[in-house]
Amino acid sequence: MPPTPDPEEIGGDRRRLIGLIVGAVAAVLVVALLVVGLVNRGTSTTIDDALEAGSRPSAPALTLPVLVSGPGLPPVGSNASLADLKGKVVVLNLWASWCGPCKEESPVLEQLWRGNRDKGVVVLGVDIQDLSSDARAFIEEYRLTYPSLRDGTDDAKSALEATGVPETYIIDQKGRIALHIAGPVTSPAQLQGPIDQVLAEA
Amino acid sequence: MTRRSLTAAIAVLLAVLAMAVPALSLTVNEVAREVRCPTCNTPLDVSNSPAADRMKIFIADRIAKGDDKEEIIDALVVEFGRGVLATPPKSGFDLLAWIVPIVLVVGGLAAIPFVTRAWARRRADDPVPEIAPEDAARLDEELRRRDP
Repeated sequence: MPPTPDPEEIGGDRRRLIGLIVGAVAAVLVVALLVVGLVNRGTSTTIDDALEAGSRPSAPALTLPVLVSGPGLPPVGSNASLADLKGKVVVLNLWASWCGPCKEESPVLEQLWRGNRDKGVVVLGVDIQDLSSDARAFIEEYRLTYPSLRDGTDDAKSALEATGVPETYIIDQKGRIALHIAGPVTSPAQLQGPIDQVLAEA
Repeated sequence: MTRRSLTAAIAVLLAVLAMAVPALSLTVNEVAREVRCPTCNTPLDVSNSPAADRMKIFIADRIAKGDDKEEIIDALVVEFGRGVLATPPKSGFDLLAWIVPIVLVVGGLAAIPFVTRAWARRRADDPVPEIAPEDAARLDEELRRRDP
């Protein structure tokens, strides 16, 4: 007759197995959290990588409150989407009122806006990491007439894989990113050539 | 003077001293330590980035207007979203961030007696390995040499 297993031993084995499973699940969760944290630590570079490879990645679907309205955009206070501007060439500029280079760059962008708005080009500011009262004061001080959106939660910065301010993107008529400049635009010529090239593709 | 009356006298003295020190009104740092700088992700009170400086000016202006701490923090949340808070709020889903670590620590502490008891039982149940005859002979020899 085979020996009867000790019920206490069976219970102990089961407890040990449950403990092992709980411990393993906890360890996997901690490791997964660490991996997610490490992966999300740096800024992704898929946009720059695609541009370097000669392709045009799709611009992210951003929906943000309007700070200064403009052609094709809803009134101040309502939300605007980048998709609203499909069919136009968009010069999207990330800026903040406390950013020194943004102060030097804004007259250049204003000049580009005034010189190209009748050609189907929209210069679109996106104010990030900033107080809205400061942003409005900046727009007034530098007499900026091009439209601006406001991003208080860094959605645009993350989606556009920006590392800081200022950064500028040219988005073509099909809603694809054609150019990314990290750092200030110092002269209209820096953008006029690429704008003309994208306009000519239509 | 009895010990009880001495304790009472000290308590009264401390209370009088406490009343003599005027309470400071709300300071910028008191609010700043509750939020984080959006550009450097550090608590606002220890950050000196340009964005942090502007936020501190915003806080100072709101204090001057008579807003309390909660009102100022709420205004910053409207500006920057809940991500601006230095610590997660103790309500709704964010409450999990406070509860989970406590549950894990308490659970871990509660598990210690069970785990150690299981280890001790396993060790006690382990069969004592048989000693090889040559090792037994060597042990006897060494014991004999040690205690002649």
